[in-house]
Amino acid sequence: MIGVSDEAEPTRGGKQNAKSQVDPVGRVLGTADATPLQFWTAVTPGSYLQLDDVVVTQRELPDREPVTIAGVVTQVRARHEGAQFDSDVFAIAEGTLPALVQEAAEITTTRVDPELYVPPAPGAVVHRATGAARDAALHFDRMERRIPMGTGRDGVPVFLNADFLDGTRGAHVSISGISGVATKTSFATFLLYSVFRSGQLGADGANARALIFNVKGEDLLFLDHPNTKLDQPTMAAYKLLELPATPFSDVRVYAPPRAGDSSGAPDVSSRLTGVDAFYWTLEEFCEKKLLPYVFADADDERQQYTMVVHSVTAHLHRYAVPAEGGISIDGRRISSYGDLVDHVVEQLTDDDTRSTWAGSAINMGTVNAFARRMIGSKRDLSRLIRGDLASRRPHQIKTAESAQVTVVDLHNLPDRAQRFVVGVTLKTEFEEKEKAGTGRPLLFVVLDELNKYAPREGTSPIKEVLLDIAERGRSLGVILIGAQQTASEVERRIVTNSAIRVVGRLDPAEAARPEYGFLPPAMRQRALLARPGTMFVNQPDIPVPLCVEFPFPAWATRKSESGPPPSETMRSIVQGADPFAVVGGRGAVDDDIPF
Amino acid sequence: MTRMFVDAWDPSYGSSFEGGGGEDGPASPSSAQVDTDVEVPAAEWAPIDVAPGVQRPDVVFLVDGVRRNDAGLWTQEEDGSSYAGLAASFAAGVVRCDLARGSAEMVGAEVRRGLFTASPSAQDVQTQLVRYEVRRLEGPGEASKLPSAVQPKLTELELEISAVARGGTADLLVVDGPLRNRRHLVNTIGYVKTQQKQYLPATLTPVVTALRAGQRTPVFHLGTVWGGWSWYLRLPGGSGAPWSGIVRVECSPDLPPEQAIELAEVSSATLPRFASSAYKDPRAPQNLVPIAGLERRLRGMLGDARVLHRQLTVATARNRT
Repeated sequence: MIGVSDEAEPTRGGKQNAKSQVDPVGRVLGTADATPLQFWTAVTPGSYLQLDDVVVTQRELPDREPVTIAGVVTQVRARHEGAQFDSDVFAIAEGTLPALVQEAAEITTTRVDPELYVPPAPGAVVHRATGAARDAALHFDRMERRIPMGTGRDGVPVFLNADFLDGTRGAHVSISGISGVATKTSFATFLLYSVFRSGQLGADGANARALIFNVKGEDLLFLDHPNTKLDQPTMAAYKLLELPATPFSDVRVYAPPRAGDSSGAPDVSSRLTGVDAFYWTLEEFCEKKLLPYVFADADDERQQYTMVVHSVTAHLHRYAVPAEGGISIDGRRISSYGDLVDHVVEQLTDDDTRSTWAGSAINMGTVNAFARRMIGSKRDLSRLIRGDLASRRPHQIKTAESAQVTVVDLHNLPDRAQRFVVGVTLKTEFEEKEKAGTGRPLLFVVLDELNKYAPREGTSPIKEVLLDIAERGRSLGVILIGAQQTASEVERRIVTNSAIRVVGRLDPAEAARPEYGFLPPAMRQRALLARPGTMFVNQPDIPVPLCVEFPFPAWATRKSESGPPPSETMRSIVQGADPFAVVGGRGAVDDDIPF
Repeated sequence: MTRMFVDAWDPSYGSSFEGGGGEDGPASPSSAQVDTDVEVPAAEWAPIDVAPGVQRPDVVFLVDGVRRNDAGLWTQEEDGSSYAGLAASFAAGVVRCDLARGSAEMVGAEVRRGLFTASPSAQDVQTQLVRYEVRRLEGPGEASKLPSAVQPKLTELELEISAVARGGTADLLVVDGPLRNRRHLVNTIGYVKTQQKQYLPATLTPVVTALRAGQRTPVFHLGTVWGGWSWYLRLPGGSGAPWSGIVRVECSPDLPPEQAIELAEVSSATLPRFASSAYKDPRAPQNLVPIAGLERRLRGMLGDARVLHRQLTVATARNRT
């Protein structure tokens, strides 16, 4: 399960540069102030420094061991020395004016060892940090468990401190960036893959579960299919990170039932095997008080009818009786969501029954507002809340009984239905975790468009669940990997509770917001032109965000690049048509369904 | 009506030991023997354009030096008398302009420092950073004479540096100022920015003032001690005053006249490219761009004057105790 290379282990943090001591890259500048936290380095002619390079210098002290100051390059500049006027550049290029091109790099200190905050001496030799020196500069040496995130600009792996991911010292990841170019979801899935496969989390990593909501396209439905476009350089990148270049091994995909299809077949077009339908029976809907999640818009909460929602929920909970998939209430058999809505609306508008359903102090306007929205939800939710399918058939999303990775496909669903699924699923999972009372196994929840589910303004049942996860999930082993275009529009408490903040390509106006204060100015500017596959990762124990390039996925992200499906998925074809299949059968088993 | 022109040179350069402003004509007539019939007979003198077939050199070396007085000193001798002293820093450097490749680089530069005095007992002054070697002068050594004593040492340094920099090749070398004792250098021209002496007879002066940018006068021969082959050249970018942008170029008198004419051709094809512009250089256009850049670099190499002055003060005070 845990991929380990059978070859000799390369030095962690890359190959040691043999010349690092004899090949200095520059000297500390004396024409600009050198401070313990930031200083400039003049680059030796013939050498270069690029942004994110890691360098190290030493400061000799009387009566003490020398202080090693390490840092990363946060800005580089080149200029003509000896030129006074802008137009001098023409004379210099023509070969009439002698001038020197001098490059200088701004270094932001990441580590001072021993902790004695003295500035480096101007003129001190600056070396490129490699091997152990680089690991020390980026605090990798102090990480007991480090999860590979990709490579730095220098092509050497960079790591994430697992302590800040699994809840030991922090949890939750917040990923921001423009949709389409920021590759937020790809990074989230790569991070998950690394958690599962790097072996750094030990048994926790192998036992961990992931719940991924697929909101856009069908690109997350092929996580267990090999990528046919995987090329040699990508394989090498995986090898460098000590990860196997294989797809996710244990994936279960859930999709909503096809609209208007009475058999409850999953609504997917590209992935045909290994997809299960998910839905809720009317019985569950009443029993588990799911009605509030129908009204999960932030503006729903501001309306007067919240009161009605809660009374109706309570009434359904108390009086609905299960009846062959559907329910029976007030002596009436109800076998579809539409029927339920009609019944509720009818009872509410009837003067005789209104008070038993909604209490006495409710005026007609409020009831009508509730009824309008209730009726409006029929179209969106009738395919998800069913009374016509066998209740024994497995249809629930339960990560504990599902595969290692559970993908919930939402992309075909309208907004209200998406909210309903996300809200109910998260609530159910979180309650399960609360009941279990232990932080293990870990559950990673990947949710895109967090600004929709947990907006900064207003409240909604989903936002409550997400806030619960953000604030208590760390101890319960629920880790939120949230992605959003704009962190400024997401509930502040969720963003501040994320120990790890990741930024891809940002919108210029968005980058100026205080939510990205952790990015130094130069990096903030770079985030505006970050290429797909480049992320800036900030973790609590490294004072500077790291620029990370993560490899192209080894799993397919669309139908066209997907290889043959894994054999386990064949099982689900049988299951999809068989109502007597074993409930909650684990995915990784290869044997057949016992007939 | 008399035409008036504003002098482009910064007035502070007016007191430079080299001479007056850049647009002044020659102030005093020279008594030197002048042979004006070298290239064309004097009667046929006229501005000469650059010949179309002239070979423009790709590589040109330019040499120059700078000097700075760091501190004036006074000595106290055993017998109670006192001598003036001058602590000066001077540097010379060579620029190699590779016009074909488009790169100008400083290929050689050296800084020297000296304590110029006539005191028989003066010792070298060692400051914390640099050392001023004693360069003893003959005679009484009045304070006013000391600055001019630096010049020969600087010229000597320029000679050394340019020989090393050229490394035996025969590329064109432009020396800032008259050639004087550098006349033995191969393929070398002296470049005189300011015109103090009027060498040409009055009848030929209008030919000089009639030069257009890039044109030169015919070669003539100067019969003075440091004389030789010489010609006038007008650089582009002057104000248009009769003597603005006019430089006198000379080469070694040991050359046959044909080679001197050839050098004159090369110089008029080459030097105008280096002319500076007035808004960048107060001594434009005569102060050539590479020379100006070189001087800036050399001045930088001399070190900070205030630091050196302070160090000299500290060092001499320490020696007294």
